Amino acid sequence: MRRILAVPVLLSVACGGGGESGGESSGGGGGEAAVAALGTASIMGVVNFSGMAPANPAIDMAEEAECAAKYADGPTDPVVVVADGKLANVFVRITSGLPAGPYPMPSSPSVIDQDGCLYTPRVVGVMVGQDLEIQNSDPLLHNIKAVPTANRGFNISQPRVMSSTRSFNTAEVMVPLECSVHGWMQAYVGVVEHPYFAVSGADGAFTISGLPAGTYTLEAWHETLGTQTMDVTVEDGGSASAEFSFGS
Amino acid sequence: MTNHGRLQVAACRLSAASTILLAFVAGLPGVLRAQDLENGKALYDKWCAGCHGMTGQGDGPAADYMLPRPRDFTFAIYQIRTTSNGELPTDDDLRYIVDNGMPGSTMPGWKDKLGPGDRDDVVAYIKSFSRFFEDGQPEPVAVARAPRVTDEGLAEGRRLFEEEVECIKCHGAEGRGDGGSAPELTDDDGFPIRAANLTENWTFNGGGSVEDILMRIRVGVDGTPMPSNGDAIDAGIITEEQLWRVAQYVRSLSPDAPPRRQDVVRAAFVEGDLPNGPEDPAWNDVEALYIPMVGQILEAPRWFAPAVDGLWVRALHNGEGMALQFSWDDASASPDEAWDPFFDGVVTSMVAPDAPHLEAQGPDHLAVQFPLTPPEGTVLPYFLAGDARNPVYQIRWRSNPDMAEEGTATGLGTFASGTGSDLTHGAAFANGRWQVQFTRSLTASDPGVAASFTPGESMPMAFYVADGTNAEDDVRGAVSAWYAVYLDVPLPPRVFIAPVVATLLTAGLGLVVVIQAQRRST
Amino acid sequence: MKHLKHPFTQAVLLIVGSWAFFKFVIPLFPGSAPVPQSVVLQFTLIAAVGVLVYVSENEERWTQFKAPITATLVDANKKWLRGGLLTVIPLFIGFVVFQAARPTVGSTAQLRSIHPAPPGQITFQGRSLALEGLENPLRSRGSLEEHYETGKAIYYQNCMPCHGDLLDGQGHFGHGFNPTPLAFDRAGTIDNLQESFVFWRIAKGGPGLPREGTPWNSAMPVWEDFLTEDEIWAVTMFLYEQSGLEPRTWGEEGEEHD
Repeated sequence: MRRILAVPVLLSVACGGGGESGGESSGGGGGEAAVAALGTASIMGVVNFSGMAPANPAIDMAEEAECAAKYADGPTDPVVVVADGKLANVFVRITSGLPAGPYPMPSSPSVIDQDGCLYTPRVVGVMVGQDLEIQNSDPLLHNIKAVPTANRGFNISQPRVMSSTRSFNTAEVMVPLECSVHGWMQAYVGVVEHPYFAVSGADGAFTISGLPAGTYTLEAWHETLGTQTMDVTVEDGGSASAEFSFGS
Repeated sequence: MTNHGRLQVAACRLSAASTILLAFVAGLPGVLRAQDLENGKALYDKWCAGCHGMTGQGDGPAADYMLPRPRDFTFAIYQIRTTSNGELPTDDDLRYIVDNGMPGSTMPGWKDKLGPGDRDDVVAYIKSFSRFFEDGQPEPVAVARAPRVTDEGLAEGRRLFEEEVECIKCHGAEGRGDGGSAPELTDDDGFPIRAANLTENWTFNGGGSVEDILMRIRVGVDGTPMPSNGDAIDAGIITEEQLWRVAQYVRSLSPDAPPRRQDVVRAAFVEGDLPNGPEDPAWNDVEALYIPMVGQILEAPRWFAPAVDGLWVRALHNGEGMALQFSWDDASASPDEAWDPFFDGVVTSMVAPDAPHLEAQGPDHLAVQFPLTPPEGTVLPYFLAGDARNPVYQIRWRSNPDMAEEGTATGLGTFASGTGSDLTHGAAFANGRWQVQFTRSLTASDPGVAASFTPGESMPMAFYVADGTNAEDDVRGAVSAWYAVYLDVPLPPRVFIAPVVATLLTAGLGLVVVIQAQRRST
Repeated sequence: MKHLKHPFTQAVLLIVGSWAFFKFVIPLFPGSAPVPQSVVLQFTLIAAVGVLVYVSENEERWTQFKAPITATLVDANKKWLRGGLLTVIPLFIGFVVFQAARPTVGSTAQLRSIHPAPPGQITFQGRSLALEGLENPLRSRGSLEEHYETGKAIYYQNCMPCHGDLLDGQGHFGHGFNPTPLAFDRAGTIDNLQESFVFWRIAKGGPGLPREGTPWNSAMPVWEDFLTEDEIWAVTMFLYEQSGLEPRTWGEEGEEHD
């Protein structure tokens, strides 16, 4: 009898849970009508690097001659990429100060490519529900494997030049991407609830735009150098600057 | 909650309620009964928590003693599914593993222990460890029917395996898990993991049939490096029929049926020369006996995760000398620098209960042992390297430096090297397999060091194998029970004369009876 | 139907039937084993003699019984059958003799004494321990639940690879040993034993079996080398709890272990 009594309780949990979480995830934007930009302010920042940049480890690519041929000086793993005192591959996002959603979805997918047996870019951001396009430009087998904790992972075989699309339904910073065939390959995807994120380029610069006026907390993340935060205030139509400094 | 959502929930409850009602009406509450979490928890705590842990995190008391380790249920990442890559398994997928276990791992099947309802309850409880299951259940992937197996199909499968799907990157050219990317493979938790040895389909975690293999290739083995080929099909790079060809080819790498355990290796008599090395084609015609190998967990330091699970043994003799040939699967000729990451992974994830782990890869080992003197009656030396009263004669080989020696032992770790025969050896490593041959005269030159062999008699024989890459040495490795080698003798003439005499006698007697009867009747 | 009433057919059916009974039916009885070939032949022979006594007891039946035999031996129209039997039977006999004369590959005998008699006292980790009358001390000390959990951890770390999660003797290493590991999951195993017996077998393992227990190829390790006295008692308690079996107590009367 105990078993039979438990049935309605369990069912109501299963049925109710399904309905609610469906409502929540639709807030992410996927099927909803496009949300207009919330504002016109922007943050233009730069990430500096002081001191001697650590040497990046060499990669033994002997197994993949086609990839190895693309690196005249021999391939290295671009863990810390510094040029003229500027640090690339820093993921910057707003962690507080934003009005409640919904937020506008970026109009195009984020793209990550496998080229010369390395990921380009190494760090990429997506909004929850936004497509991440995964390209393989190498004429050989890669498997792209995401190992998240809050999202479901995936592990896609891409035996030749091709492209796959995936998305994430829960914010998670960062989701590691790896390739089991080539143990050295490593990338990171920052999954954020909103579109106010950026990755510093080779010149260390990043831009977050379309913001309403307000004071925001920015967080900058680097895979080996850690995280930093700072507060920034922006006016409507204006542009504030932000400067992060990492060092060895 | 939206109106639409409420409606859905109401409909869901209604249909569920009517289902239960239906079950009662039909008098079959057992068939469509709900899963009972409380019963599931009680069963889980009693039978599963020893490995998977009370909180489902794969951290029970036995977890450190296993490689691969027990599943962590809290991430809801499951290897054996019929659903798309990255999706949750269906209840049937989970139930299949609970019922049948995972061959090649330490997970047993429970269908003979727990009733069907109990197993459903355990599945329900396992799901409760992860919030992901709150979102409902995905559909199994639909797969086209398999094409018929043909020689051309297998050749195509092989081409795809090597060149298109590139399975060889991890699984190796002959499928023994020795591919170039194999040494650095880890599972999602960072523990070392081996690319499956595709020549032993009875150890495939999700089953060894072509259909099982196809599904693994199609949707991947989540939590491991094995990817899904679903996207490649969607992108038009590979067809589903081609995946079937790969699956059929992979199946063809294993024997039709798993090897049966037999006790006696028969050394056939050959005229003239014995094979002159482990790769001599003469061995191809000799039947091999399969010896299951298991961890040396009897004496310190014990070893709970041996890399080698079986050994194939062949034997020949020519009246003067005998040759034994051994072959076993081992992904590396240890020590091999490329496999350092794997070695490091093993020593950091496996417990070392009796002594510290090795600090670096050593060589691979093989040993075969016999009683030093033929056993009296049924008393054999202790199977683990003999005992004080009953010493054993051992022939030992190691891979680096490549050498073989003989000697005696009266227990594990008591080997004393010596020279008691004209022992020679040969060893060859290729595509994830060792082949080793020992050759020596039947009669020992020093009976205090080596055993002698007599044609027409059985000689007990036991084995030891170790893989240096797997942090094994000459005591941490895999052992076997006692088996025996029997040296065939050419059949003596009486074997042929006696039946002929018996046949003639019977025929004569029959004739006499017939003649007598006919005389009497006339 | 006419044939079935004939004494010859009846006799043949009875003899073949009794052979089939000894060979195939008896092993199906609960608790019995396949009957050795020699015993089957002996029993069948006895049955045949009985059948012959029966058919020869009545003169008319005896004549009826003999008729087909005589016909086969004598009748001109049975020439082919006669010739056939005279060929087939001697060849069959020859084949049987060949099988018997051929050398066979024998494996070494693997006998097992399941429950050897325990010694009255043992030396456990260097000190003397009387087994006679010894009870599991943990049953009257501390928390049973804690002892069970301790025993469980010890079992899963040490015993499970051979004796299995299911206590069925089929752990993932079980198939590698000969004799195979013991099961504890059914009646007729540890429920026949006192806990002190189980303690002794765990503590001393295969190498500690008495000489009359040979050939002792048992792969059971000598656990006193790895576990403390309390740990062995805890795992003993775990075995009974997990299997749902009750140990025999010292008060109980019962037959000697064989």
